[in-house]
Amino acid sequence: MFSLAIMNGLAIGVIYALAALGVSLVVGIMNVINFAHGEFYVLAGYFSFLFADALGWNPYLSMLVAVGLVFLFGIFIEYIFIRPTYGNDMYSLILTFILVIVLQNAYLLIFGPYPHKPPNWVTGATSIFNLFYYGNQRLAAAVAGAMVITAVFALIKKTWFGRIIRAASQDREMAELNGVNTAQLNMLSFGLGCALAGTAGVILTPVFPVTPSAGVPVALTAFVVVVLGGMGSMWGCVVGGLLLGLVENLGAAFISTGYKHIFGFIILILVLLVRPAGLFGRKEI
Amino acid sequence: MIIDSGLRVSLRHRNFFIVLILVGATFCLLPYWLDDYRLHVVIVSLFYVMMASSWNLLAGYTGQVSFAHAAFAGIGAYTSGILAVKAGMNPWLGVMMGTILAGFLGVCLGFLCIKMGGIYLSLTTLAFSEILHIIIINEYEVTRGTMGLQVPALMVEYSKAAYLYIMLAATVLTLIIIYTVIHSNLGLNFRAVQNDESAAASLGVHVVQIRVLAFTVSCALAGFAGGLYGHYLLLITPEIPSLDQQFLVLAMAVIGGMGSFLGPIIGSFVLEILSEYIRAYGEYHVLVFGLVALAMARFSPNGLTGLMDRLGSRRSSI
Repeated sequence: MFSLAIMNGLAIGVIYALAALGVSLVVGIMNVINFAHGEFYVLAGYFSFLFADALGWNPYLSMLVAVGLVFLFGIFIEYIFIRPTYGNDMYSLILTFILVIVLQNAYLLIFGPYPHKPPNWVTGATSIFNLFYYGNQRLAAAVAGAMVITAVFALIKKTWFGRIIRAASQDREMAELNGVNTAQLNMLSFGLGCALAGTAGVILTPVFPVTPSAGVPVALTAFVVVVLGGMGSMWGCVVGGLLLGLVENLGAAFISTGYKHIFGFIILILVLLVRPAGLFGRKEI
Repeated sequence: MIIDSGLRVSLRHRNFFIVLILVGATFCLLPYWLDDYRLHVVIVSLFYVMMASSWNLLAGYTGQVSFAHAAFAGIGAYTSGILAVKAGMNPWLGVMMGTILAGFLGVCLGFLCIKMGGIYLSLTTLAFSEILHIIIINEYEVTRGTMGLQVPALMVEYSKAAYLYIMLAATVLTLIIIYTVIHSNLGLNFRAVQNDESAAASLGVHVVQIRVLAFTVSCALAGFAGGLYGHYLLLITPEIPSLDQQFLVLAMAVIGGMGSFLGPIIGSFVLEILSEYIRAYGEYHVLVFGLVALAMARFSPNGLTGLMDRLGSRRSSI
């Protein structure tokens, strides 16, 4: 029971970290919280279901196409709605919140209230240290999540594009003076944030089927992870995601399953009380 | 000169009260003209006027976005309802308890996150409203979960007309409170904090205290409105503190015009009456309002009142 909860916590924690990375990236660069993060997650899940199940494409290809489409959709949203709100944080909060409701209701209209899931990548289960059997699909999801996180770290820490992102999130004006086109950067990073939500979506939907309102708990968890890890910190996302995954699953196993998501909220309050900047946060953001 | 401007200000205040009394008196006559269904629509609209105006006090005048306004209405409704059902408390006393509890929770949440800036308030209130939802559904022995909690009415003999008068009185009270706050020194501080935080702080305005105060007043007003609304519907469900409800309140303020006194009032009536018409074709009103609100927030941030002002000034310039 205990070891199973730990395993579940680590596996799901990887996906939490992945979803939180997208939020953190956008906050760090644009100082915008995308409340519709969970809805992009759901959108990618629906796309991958649509292509793989209804159109009969190869599941891996349909995942790639789904993430690509969500990336383009994110860029479109940034261009139409978010760009005019720079300098006015309140309107971006309101706009992305309205977007949550619009997208949820559109999904409900198009896909109906029933859960949908794309086919599993792998079947069967593996014995973990002869303690318990763990579903292969969940293992594969955790591994895929870890690989994507590694890729994002490599992108941010090692490439020229990553250097631009780090420069802009540290000092926007200075980056502009050095010739960074920050408007374009905002668009790309918002799309990238949405694509990360979408990646979490395509990885997780074979395990947890999507419904029109499935995005809200995902987004809330991502926000809690971002606050816990410190806004804009990438390592904070990874540590915070794993921590939250563990706490939630241990809490669900030993205290109450109905209150699984409340543990995240308790963590949020504790963080705000004790260390408002988060584990890895800079003092002022 | 100073006396003259003071006179003008007091004249403007007098005009406000005259208009309020005239409109209120017109509403008092409505039961003679309208049937029960139309009265119901008016009562629900009045509830939304209270909700949208108090949300606007926070968002439009201090620039902070709370996503827990519907949740605080739910706290008012459930507090009063549970006290009436389990402890047999008088509903009026229950509504007061609900208002106080909503205000108290507002202070706690406010002090917790407002010092960290606007984004934290939005995040925390969103999480808070989801958590409240989870608690209500899980503690079904107390709250009756999604089945809904049946509560007693505010008066012995249930009548729509009586509820119209009660809601009207509550709305007028809410509007007077908001108007007084906006036009007091406090309202000036609200605006200062919204326009430029550091400039306000440098002039001795305690930014965090002002923001927490605005949040508290707005939460308490939401709790008050929710308590009355619950005793009007006679059935309190998790629909009241839901995100959809929160969205409707936000859309009414955004479409009507944030940061203006009249905007949320117009928005509430327009959207509630429109939603009754759209409902004839199915449950599309949330989607339609969402699209309209998106377009409004993007192209006309001052809402309908802003549009009217613009048209009016264009005509006068011609």
